[in-house]
Amino acid sequence: METLDFNKIARKAIQDHRNERVYLFRLFLKKKLAVFSAFVLVSIMLAAVFAPWVAPYPDQGKGSVNLEDRLQPFSRKHLLGTDTYGRDLLSRAIYGGRISVFGGFFIVLMAALIGVPLGLWAGYREGVSGAVIMRTAELVLSFPSVLVAMGVSIVVGAGSITALVALIIPWWPWYTRLVQGEVLSIKNMLYVEAAQMLGYGRIYILFRHLLPNILTPVIVMMMLDIGPAIIAIGVLSFLGLGTQAPSADWGLMVWEGAPNILGEWWIAIVPGFAMFLLVTAFNIFGDTLKDILDPN
Amino acid sequence: MAERLIELYQIKTYFPQKKSLMGRVRAWVKAVDDVSLNVFRGECLGLVGESGCGKSTLGRTLLKLAPLTSGKICYDGTEIQHLADNGFQLFRPKMQMVFQDPRASLNPKMTVLQIISEALAICPSIGVKEYVQRATELLNMVDLRPEHLFRYPHEFSGGQQQRICIARALATRPEFIVFDEATSALDVSVQAQIINLMTNLQEQLKLTYLFISHDLSIMEHICHRVAVMYAGRIMEIQDSNALFASPRHPYTKALRDAVPVADPTRRGQMAILGGEVPSLLQPPEGCRFHPRCKHATVRCRKEAPREDKIKPGNWVRCHYHQQLQHQADQYR
Amino acid sequence: MLRVEGLEVDFRGSRGTYRILEGVDFSLYPGEVLALVGETGCGKSVTAKTILNLIPRLSQQRKGVVRFDGKNLLKLSNKSLGRMRGKSITMIFQNPQSSINPVFTLGEQIFRLIRMYLQDEIDTLCRRRNMKANAAIRRIARDKLAEVGLIDAGRLLKAYAHEISGGMAQRYKIAQALLSSPEILIADEATSALDVTVQAHILKLLKELSLKKRTAILFITHDMGIAAQICERVAVMYSGRIVEIGATLDIFQKPLHPYTRGLLDAVPRLGNVEPLKYVAGMIPDLANPPAGCRFHPRCRHAMAVCRLKKPENIEKGEGHLVACHMYGTSLSRK
Repeated sequence: METLDFNKIARKAIQDHRNERVYLFRLFLKKKLAVFSAFVLVSIMLAAVFAPWVAPYPDQGKGSVNLEDRLQPFSRKHLLGTDTYGRDLLSRAIYGGRISVFGGFFIVLMAALIGVPLGLWAGYREGVSGAVIMRTAELVLSFPSVLVAMGVSIVVGAGSITALVALIIPWWPWYTRLVQGEVLSIKNMLYVEAAQMLGYGRIYILFRHLLPNILTPVIVMMMLDIGPAIIAIGVLSFLGLGTQAPSADWGLMVWEGAPNILGEWWIAIVPGFAMFLLVTAFNIFGDTLKDILDPN
Repeated sequence: MAERLIELYQIKTYFPQKKSLMGRVRAWVKAVDDVSLNVFRGECLGLVGESGCGKSTLGRTLLKLAPLTSGKICYDGTEIQHLADNGFQLFRPKMQMVFQDPRASLNPKMTVLQIISEALAICPSIGVKEYVQRATELLNMVDLRPEHLFRYPHEFSGGQQQRICIARALATRPEFIVFDEATSALDVSVQAQIINLMTNLQEQLKLTYLFISHDLSIMEHICHRVAVMYAGRIMEIQDSNALFASPRHPYTKALRDAVPVADPTRRGQMAILGGEVPSLLQPPEGCRFHPRCKHATVRCRKEAPREDKIKPGNWVRCHYHQQLQHQADQYR
Repeated sequence: MLRVEGLEVDFRGSRGTYRILEGVDFSLYPGEVLALVGETGCGKSVTAKTILNLIPRLSQQRKGVVRFDGKNLLKLSNKSLGRMRGKSITMIFQNPQSSINPVFTLGEQIFRLIRMYLQDEIDTLCRRRNMKANAAIRRIARDKLAEVGLIDAGRLLKAYAHEISGGMAQRYKIAQALLSSPEILIADEATSALDVTVQAHILKLLKELSLKKRTAILFITHDMGIAAQICERVAVMYSGRIVEIGATLDIFQKPLHPYTRGLLDAVPRLGNVEPLKYVAGMIPDLANPPAGCRFHPRCRHAMAVCRLKKPENIEKGEGHLVACHMYGTSLSRK
């Protein structure tokens, strides 16, 4: 039997594999919906970042009043109409995006950054510390999230940044609970035991085997959470605890426009639609992300 | 005289059950209760028993995946049961395991290359640059192709997944491999392929196997000696052809007779064994098998039988096996 | 009594249409035990579930006829089929404990069934022995459980699914399944999850009950040993089709189809130490099955026609049918 040159075979296999990876990236680009949603997301984010340059009436976006043009529907001067104070809604939407988009993102990200490691610990190590974590999480979950955030805001003082931080507090336990459940089920899988058989320690197993396998449900949850987070910011703002008027914030704008919904409906609908657009784009993008991450 | 690769002496693996509030253990699940066994170099030792008899636990105890309560384990003459992780790490490359469910044994987020590399990483003698080459070699040994290195486990069939597990087990150049129900989740023809692969590898690489299964019929095809386990104890151990042709222990006989024979001309021979599998929390006193044994006497209820040697490496744990054998011979 | 003709089932999945069953034909005669053997993915479970319409209809397209009691089961409304399920055709599954409702006691579940199907027996007992209805139901339950070898019925009736062993659970399910004296009992890998000693009991029990009550059993399994021991006829399935069917003795002693031969060669047997032979290759991808005879890529005897045309069922000996081009290309009946 001829001896095979494994070195050569191995190198060829690596080369073939590299060619294949490029092919996969092109495949992603072909998924039009995913690309479109990514495009939408990036546009919104860029618009929010560069608001002073993108918005047609930056001052009105920031809140200065323009009583002459109050309650105007869509027109050439004001593409998306004006609100009760005459402020251009397009500019307000763009400025509002700053708080809403990045705020929502921030809340969810921080909640995950806090909740996931706690869940990993509670699931893997169990024991007394794990129990303490889980009971704390359950305690926080038993209060309505907005009330908790309200409480914190009142104590610390109202403001957009405070609202964001305050909202993280009721949000992290969801991630802890999710992750702990996942870890409990994966812990007993045979591939974990195989790694133990090879002599690998707990930390390695945590990062190499447990973490990658819980990432998918976590990311899905994050994507789905951004919408509610944005709305929650808005609720706080409406109650006067978050973004202070006259600053723009989508949630706040919706509430501001609600009394006029039957007549000048665009005042509430424009920010509402902005939220809808963002959340849908995030969901679709998140879905594709999940498909890529999850080879299954 | 064949060399003893693994020596087990009075192994006990108990799991704590029901801790009281103070933390004192009230009851123990006696998964492995006083097992003494030798595995000779180059042989394939079969370990057969029904569910809950402790065979999987015994396999895991050998590789320190289950906590040993008491007893001695010697590998190639060296005692290893007391070694801490550092000391035992030297032995890990030599002893590997292939698990039951191939799908669950492979991390779905890792490619085949990563999985095998994880095993290669514990061998200090192999450099990182050689991983791909060595992995290709291993895949070739188990009849898989080099391009499979970059695929994920779910892209393979059950039989192929099990081959990947075998390749992983071979990565560290082991001397001893434990197969824990490695073929139970596979179809009959796939099982045949894997068994043939295992036999070839054993010859080529001079390996020693411990083959754990609940399926009696495959044992003869791959094992040299077979041990029968019941309720945490080994009831009988014999050369495989002797065991199936003339089993000495009543439980072995019952086990053999319960297997449906794939021959329609031999019908009506399935003997029925009454009773239920005993609980390992409170196993029967004396001979573990006495509640279900047709021939049980008072002695069986009080006194646990000792190992009665038939020939080197073959023994039975039954007070009456000689009388029973005599009776059986008379009927021939 | 049950005749399946040309059953075809397609699923629409992520990669297109999967042709799971492509023309399954067989009959089940009253009181007989028929084994449906095959490996994973051959479609044996799907066949059974399609007969009872236990598969969601949405993603599926079906063709063919399942004739029972003068009707085509595939065309029956859900309501009529529901009445038939559990009464004339019942089924037991691989994992008995998971097919018992965990929230109710075993007693509650079997009492309900007794009330549904054995009303006359209840009435008879009430009249003759002057019993109240509940007492009568309990009595019947005990009798039925005793029939399957569960004698400590009192304790059992109060137990929950997770408190009993696999063997006991499967006996209980058999008692439930036979309550209504069905004409057909389908056993889908009913003993695969049980220990071999427990399996021996259950097999013996099924055989006895089948004889006593004249219930036909369709025993789905991958274990040739079970087929050999308790079945009168064996149907061998491969990739959505029955490739050979006949009396047990014929199948084991004179296997005709190359797959059957390969399967028999791969079965490990006690007392035989020759190396196990096996059929090379893998089962076909259902999204893209081979043309013609689905087995041809793995068949040593493959001919040109095997790639082009699907083999028909050819009769070779009494009741022994094989679907293979090696045996001629026309249906020759006596």
